[in-house]
Amino acid sequence: MAVKIIESCVNCHACLPVCPSNAIYETKPHFMVDPKKCTECEGAFADFQCASICPIEGAILNSFGEAINPPGSLTGIPPEKMAAAMAELQAH
Amino acid sequence: MQLPVLNDAPAAKSGCSASSCGTTDSQMDSLPDSIREKVQNHPCYSEDAHHYFARMHVAVAPACNIQCHYCNRKYDCANESRPGVVSEVLTPDQAVKKTMAVAANIPQMTVLGIAGPGDPLANPEKTFETFRRLSEEAPDIKLCVSTNGLALPDSVEELSKHNIDHVTITINCVDPEIGAKIYPWIFWNNRRIKGVKGAKILIEQQQKGLEMLIAKGILVKVNSVMIPGINDEHLAEVSRVVKSKGAFLHNVMPLIAEAEHGTFYGVMGQRGPTPDELQDLQDSCSGDMNMMRHCRQCRADAVGMLGEDRGDEFTMDKIEDMEIDYQAAMEKRKVIHAAIQEEMDSKRLEKARKVETQNFASLRTRPVLMAVATSGQGVINVHFGHAKEFLIYEASPEGVRFISHRKADQYCGGDVSCGETESTLQTTIRSLAGCEAVLCSKVGYEPWEMLEQAGIMPNGEHAMENIEEAVMVVYLEMAKAGKLDTEQLRASA
Repeated sequence: MAVKIIESCVNCHACLPVCPSNAIYETKPHFMVDPKKCTECEGAFADFQCASICPIEGAILNSFGEAINPPGSLTGIPPEKMAAAMAELQAH
Repeated sequence: MQLPVLNDAPAAKSGCSASSCGTTDSQMDSLPDSIREKVQNHPCYSEDAHHYFARMHVAVAPACNIQCHYCNRKYDCANESRPGVVSEVLTPDQAVKKTMAVAANIPQMTVLGIAGPGDPLANPEKTFETFRRLSEEAPDIKLCVSTNGLALPDSVEELSKHNIDHVTITINCVDPEIGAKIYPWIFWNNRRIKGVKGAKILIEQQQKGLEMLIAKGILVKVNSVMIPGINDEHLAEVSRVVKSKGAFLHNVMPLIAEAEHGTFYGVMGQRGPTPDELQDLQDSCSGDMNMMRHCRQCRADAVGMLGEDRGDEFTMDKIEDMEIDYQAAMEKRKVIHAAIQEEMDSKRLEKARKVETQNFASLRTRPVLMAVATSGQGVINVHFGHAKEFLIYEASPEGVRFISHRKADQYCGGDVSCGETESTLQTTIRSLAGCEAVLCSKVGYEPWEMLEQAGIMPNGEHAMENIEEAVMVVYLEMAKAGKLDTEQLRASA
């Protein structure tokens, strides 16, 4: 039982100090979670602390491999709108 | 050192209660001496000082505790210049080295700020470690910090310990309903809180922090991002509220929003204000408090004078090779700062004397906007084609006043991926819309013709002359030539 930080992490440090288990560490190319230390905040907090401050949608996965913050959930940008804007930029 | 008081404003009891800012005078003239003495060499707080002194930001604070709709934490582009963008995040130790290297090499650098790329107070250990070491090792550098305010009440005590006498709080609203349209979430008491509820907490923390700073005697500037249709009409209220609590300066900045930034506002097509809309709002707020108009919305790792960025000269690999004798540097800096101060004082006195002897009030001419190419020292000293930005001045029978700056080139370098369809020259001329003359040290043949076609009179006759004096000379020439006749204007309308 552990969360996982994946490559879309931007190394902003926000999760590191809020982890109650000191399970997060700084490394290259991005921050990682030590699965032996991660408790998924059980018994400490109602919500995953790292995923509650992480600004990047999809950067932290739960133990089922699902994004805790799915696309659009943090920025409020509808995913199809974001895709359309990015496609528009690519076309140039 | 105390500056002479040149206006008739009575000595203030405290803070901003002194008087409201006159829009025709320099914004600093209405400040009480105690504040002016603190800001006279701070380029971000004093319009006058920004012609002479430089600043730098060290990017030691990557984490943030809120999300703003104009920010995207993924972004890092060396060609971009806007808040929140940096090239390398530094440790406090690297930041101290970099600051001292810059101070030794750019002696007119007086101010070190921590502004991100996240929120400095959401990274309290890194931010305060940097401040603590700098206040010990480089005591001649002013320290300042800017924050979204969420963690501010918890940090005021610590801030007051580190010789920090300037804090900037970004306050975009005092109404949670409006706040919910700007801040999608905050991280507070171990939870992510969205919508109106989150905005309400943020606003309460900002206001509480502002009050606590004022009570400690720390100078507070308030930054607001003007977002048309969201908070544009509300910002006059924000200005009133923060002034009543003791903020000494309000800096209303235009929203920067482009789809390629990947921000909510950029992707959703929210537009920024036009220069006219920004100026109208700044003018409408200026009845209530001192307005700042020279902000360049710089990067969280900017180095140099406000209009420039010399960050490339001070990357960590270059700094590692520099030998810095800070004691010697401090001696040199002291001499240079005193010389600059003397020059500023004499110019200020001269200006006040001229205001007394010259009287244009008999003129019945309309106001005119003019663009000026300058790299500092308060003189016209940049070739039109080399200008990265222009300062905009308004001349009228009441005198000359600084209005804003306009970027000549776009925010990025404009490579093929940006899909640019017009030349840099066309973009530059378009950025001068509304101006009737452009004053620079020289203008080439091609731009000269294009400027004339665009209705902007090029002028290279005042190279190395004082900006405000030259603008007035050109204005009087235009008046003499009958170009500013209001009767004529009405007749032709």
